[in-house]
Amino acid sequence: MLKIKDLKAGIEETQILKGINLEVKAGEVHAIMGPNGSGKSTLSSVIAGKEEYEVESGEIIFNGEDLLELAPEDRAHKGVFMSFQYPVEIPGISVSNFIKTSISESRKAIGLPPLPTKDLLRMMRDKMELLNINQGYLSRSMNEGFSGGEKKRNEIFQMAMLEPKLSILDETDSGLDIDALRIVANGVNKLKNKHNATVVITHYQRLLEYIIPDFVHVLYDGKIIKSGGKELAIELEERGYEWITKKQ
Amino acid sequence: MSLIKHLKHHVDQFGLDSKKKEAFSSFIKNGFPTTDNEEWKYTSLKKVINEDYVLSRAEKNTKDSATLEPSIIQKHSLGFNNKIVFHNGLLVDYPIIDGVKISNDVLIEKHEDETSYSLTDLNFSLADSGYSIKIDKNTIVDEPIEILFFNSEKQIFGQYRNNIKIEKGSNVKLIERIIDLSNSRTFINTFTYIKCESNSKLKFYKIQNNHDKSSLIDHTNISQERDSVCGVNTLIFSGGFIRNNLNFKQNGSNCESNMSGISLLDKKQFADNHTFVDHKKANCRSNEMYKGIYLDSSKGVFNGKIMVRKDAQKIDAFQSNNNLLLSNASSIDSKPQLEIYADDVKCSHGCTIGQLDEEALFYMRSRGIGKKEAQAVLTYAFASEVIENISISKLKNFCQHLVAKKLGVNLDFS
Repeated sequence: MLKIKDLKAGIEETQILKGINLEVKAGEVHAIMGPNGSGKSTLSSVIAGKEEYEVESGEIIFNGEDLLELAPEDRAHKGVFMSFQYPVEIPGISVSNFIKTSISESRKAIGLPPLPTKDLLRMMRDKMELLNINQGYLSRSMNEGFSGGEKKRNEIFQMAMLEPKLSILDETDSGLDIDALRIVANGVNKLKNKHNATVVITHYQRLLEYIIPDFVHVLYDGKIIKSGGKELAIELEERGYEWITKKQ
Repeated sequence: MSLIKHLKHHVDQFGLDSKKKEAFSSFIKNGFPTTDNEEWKYTSLKKVINEDYVLSRAEKNTKDSATLEPSIIQKHSLGFNNKIVFHNGLLVDYPIIDGVKISNDVLIEKHEDETSYSLTDLNFSLADSGYSIKIDKNTIVDEPIEILFFNSEKQIFGQYRNNIKIEKGSNVKLIERIIDLSNSRTFINTFTYIKCESNSKLKFYKIQNNHDKSSLIDHTNISQERDSVCGVNTLIFSGGFIRNNLNFKQNGSNCESNMSGISLLDKKQFADNHTFVDHKKANCRSNEMYKGIYLDSSKGVFNGKIMVRKDAQKIDAFQSNNNLLLSNASSIDSKPQLEIYADDVKCSHGCTIGQLDEEALFYMRSRGIGKKEAQAVLTYAFASEVIENISISKLKNFCQHLVAKKLGVNLDFS
């Protein structure tokens, strides 16, 4: 589904990603771990298409198409979703209106008519139940005054509504208490199927107790320096990053 | 021939009665305001008065006015039953409502508290069109009254003079709109005097959405008595040149004056909102919220003056003016002006000028919303505080539709 080949990218003059190679297949869950400043958020931003990052070389192929050629909204239309580490507050737009616009614009882009309001509402209700979200939340301004947990739940709610093929969860566990973490992880697990894939970007192993990865990659200084199974995450939790990074 | 010369010539030809003559002389003495005048520092009338205008129907020598097709009225109306319709200065339709008297008696007297000012002097001396609405005491008019001024005469310089009296304990909502169908350089100088008696409630919406060749100067003077609540919402979506002078006088205690507005302009459009609240008595409130959105080379001006007189204690006055500049060539001049002579008051004001949040734009785009649509959604969000506050749903939907249209997107903001 996703193939990243020798990706080098940075911001202004600074190179942050120094040759990333990664392949993610449908049905898989990948975890990318690494210390602060290793380039984790840069990688997710580049995949989502944030314009301030410059790609020097390499490619990102998504289902046979070059993602780097596409605008952020077009990447979303192809099925790429990124859950933000810091979801943006948008006063004046309600959660329901935002999601309605997001769904109808995404459908329009692939030539589908707008979803009938009745169906949209039913879908919202189902997904809200999945994430323990109450009805009153829909009329609140997008992320405005939301707690950390509410913001992250709102991200996963949108993911559930948009049904992406590839979901990148950027530090979704940060700012979550254990109950919120369980709800969010539970939501992600329920949305998982053999046609979609998830990339979990995280500092800590904690989230991976709930979302079990098939592969774990260690990102350090802009490169993936070690890959393994879920046991690698446990080892990292026990021993830290130093035993790997020292070898570099 | 300059416009001033033309006006003089016109008055010589058609004559004026003595009071109007006096006002006209006063106008001639002061002339059109120039940018040397502090109140017009950022607003130049030069281009507006440099055009050739037709000053009245008499001058044009046409006997009967073109008829106004019902479909045209329908097209521009919000669809309320209560409609006051003018066409080329003539009253062509008005509703019959219990406790409401509507006529086209143009004011022939100046109001006792009408301060003399060159443009209102000109209006007084030459006005030959306008409405008079009187709401009898304790009358509640549920459905809004729509006031539509249509003009289809080319190059007209028109003076409308209106009078609204809301008697004790009454409650009414008005929606006014001046629509130019001539698609030529027209210039409207309108004056509306509103008296809100004690315990009355008025909501007045002004929709200003004309073509780029139109010029409008709107003076609205509101005189409030005790316990009255009056709100004016100025909704500007288009227009070549617009200047609004909105003046409130609180003559009794416990009055509330609300002002809000949207200016959404593009191309070389220009709109200036000048407001003035005169807090003369104690225990009164005023709330002011103007939002400006400027695209292309459009330009806005905001000047909000709040006067709190010596005896007006316990005043609560709030003013805000927020602006979005969506292009490098657009601009806004914003000036709060607070004059406070009482010592126990609460006054606050704030002004912001900014651009759309790039982070929010990326967030929305990453959720599949196109760039233009994302910009439009954020722009609407910026304006929503004013639009969402409109209690008349037909009008609210109309505004939402106009915002989408102006921003070139096919989105439903409702």
